[in-house]
Amino acid sequence: MRVYFRYAIKETLSNLWRNRMMTIAAVLTVAVSLSLVGSALLLKQSAAQASARWQQGTRVTVWMEPTASQNEISSVQTQLASMPIVKSCAFYTQAQDYAEAKQLLPQSEWSVLTVAQMPSSFRCVPTVPANAFVVESTFKNQPGVYSVTAPEQQIREMNHAIRIIQIVFLALAGVLLLSATVLILNTIRMAIFSRRREVSVMKLVGATNWFIRIPYITEGFIQGLLGSVVAILAVTALHTWYPLHNEFQLDTNALIGTNAVVLIVGVVIGSVGSAIAIRRFLDV
Amino acid sequence: MIRFENVSKTYKNGTPALKDISLDIEKGEFVFLVGASGSGKTTFLRLLLREELPDQGRILEAGRDIGDLPKWRVPYLRRNIGCVFQDFRLLPNKTVFDNVAFALEVIGRPRSTVESQVPQILDLVGLADKSRNLPGELSGGEQQRVAVARAFVNRPLILLADEPTGNLDPANSESIMALLERINRTGTTVVMATHDKALVDRMRRRVIELDRGEMIRDQVRGVYGVDEGAML
Repeated sequence: MRVYFRYAIKETLSNLWRNRMMTIAAVLTVAVSLSLVGSALLLKQSAAQASARWQQGTRVTVWMEPTASQNEISSVQTQLASMPIVKSCAFYTQAQDYAEAKQLLPQSEWSVLTVAQMPSSFRCVPTVPANAFVVESTFKNQPGVYSVTAPEQQIREMNHAIRIIQIVFLALAGVLLLSATVLILNTIRMAIFSRRREVSVMKLVGATNWFIRIPYITEGFIQGLLGSVVAILAVTALHTWYPLHNEFQLDTNALIGTNAVVLIVGVVIGSVGSAIAIRRFLDV
Repeated sequence: MIRFENVSKTYKNGTPALKDISLDIEKGEFVFLVGASGSGKTTFLRLLLREELPDQGRILEAGRDIGDLPKWRVPYLRRNIGCVFQDFRLLPNKTVFDNVAFALEVIGRPRSTVESQVPQILDLVGLADKSRNLPGELSGGEQQRVAVARAFVNRPLILLADEPTGNLDPANSESIMALLERINRTGTTVVMATHDKALVDRMRRRVIELDRGEMIRDQVRGVYGVDEGAML
C-alpha cells in the first residue's frame, strides 16, 4: 500500500509537470469560473441578509428629525392613522431606534451615536407595497420629518439588479466550467497518450485497473483543487475589500459556506474531467 | 495447466480465427505454435491472456475456466502469465533495472522484493552488468533478454512468447531459445508462437500447427513443416 501511495504521487506529479502548460490553463479556467460562482453566491447571500435585516416587517419608515417637537410627531401620527392605504403603524422612540442601531451597525459606527442624535420613527405597513411611495411623497417635506424610506422598494430594485448580475455570472461560470472540464479532460488525455507504453506494459504484467487509473484521477482532482484554491483566495479577497461588504454585513459563516461550495465544485469538475478521459482513452 | 475445449473464435468482420480447437498442455511443457500469418497463433495467445473471449468452448488455466473470471480478476490471472513479444515492448526512458522492476512495482510488490528479485533475474538472463543502461544502448538480443527477464521476474506459471526471435539474428535467437529452455526447466509452461523453421526443427519439442484457424497437427516431438514431419 505504501509502495502504491508513493508510486501514485510520483506518477501524478510527473504527469502534471510534463503537461504543465495545459495544467496551468486548466487550473486558471477552473479558478476564473469558480471565482464567478463564488461571487454570485456571495451576492445572493448579501442580498438575502440585507432584506432580512432591513425589512423586519416594515415596508415604509417615516424618520422624524431628532429635534422634532411633540406637535410635529403627533401631527404625523394622526395623518398616518387616517390614511386608508396604511394598514398599521408602530412608533419607535429615540431610545428604541438607538437600541436597534446598536444591533444593526458595527460597533465602530454606533459607538459614536447618542440617543439624542437618533431620530424617532414610524414603521408602517402599507396595504400594498407600491403604496410606500404615496407615504413617501406625502411626508417627505412635512415639518419635523427627516426622511421617508421604503426599504422594500429599494431592496426590490437592488435584488432585481443583483439577480441579473447573478444570472450573468452563473451563465458565464457555467460556460467556463464546461471549458474547464474539457481542458482537464484534454490534459488527462495527453497524459494517458504520453504514457501509453507504460499503460500497455502495466496491463500485460497484471496491474489492477484501479492501480492504472488512480494517478490520472488524482491528476484531474489536483487540477480542480488548485483551481478552487485560487478561486477561494479571490472570493475571500473580494469579501474582505469589496465595498459591498460594509453595507451588507456578511458574516464569516457565509464566506466559509461559499468557499466550501467553490471547493467542492472544483474538485468535482476535476474528477469528472479525468473520469471521462479515463473512460474514453484508458480502456481499463 | 492449459486446456482448450472446443474453442472457436470469429472476429466481428466474419473471419474465423480459431475453429473448434481442443487440446491440453501440461505443466512444464514447451510448446511451439506454428503456422502462416493469419493462421490464428496470435488469437490463441490473446485468448490465453483473456484479451479476447472465445465465442464457443471453454479455456481452463490451472483448472479454472478463465471465461468465468470477473473482469476485475483478470489482472490477477495475468500475473501468472509472462509475455514476450517480437518488438520487446520495453520502456525506452527506463533503465534495464527499472524496466524489470516496473513489472513488480505495478503489482504492488514491496521495494525489498524488487531489490532482491531484479538483480537475481538480470543475472539469470546474463545482463547484470547492463542494469543501469537504457534499452536503446543494448543490442536487439539483449533487449529481448530484458523483456524475458521482465516476463519472468514474477515467476509466472506460464510464459507466452509471440515470435520472440522474429527480430533477431540466428546467434541472438539461439541465446533467447537457450534462455526460454532454462526457464522451462524451472517448471514453467512455455508456449511460443514462431515462424523460425530451423529453430523448431532443432528443438524437437511439441509442435501445434494452425492453418486458417484449424489445428492441423499436434506432434509430441515435432518439426516445423508437415512433410518433413511425415518423413520422420
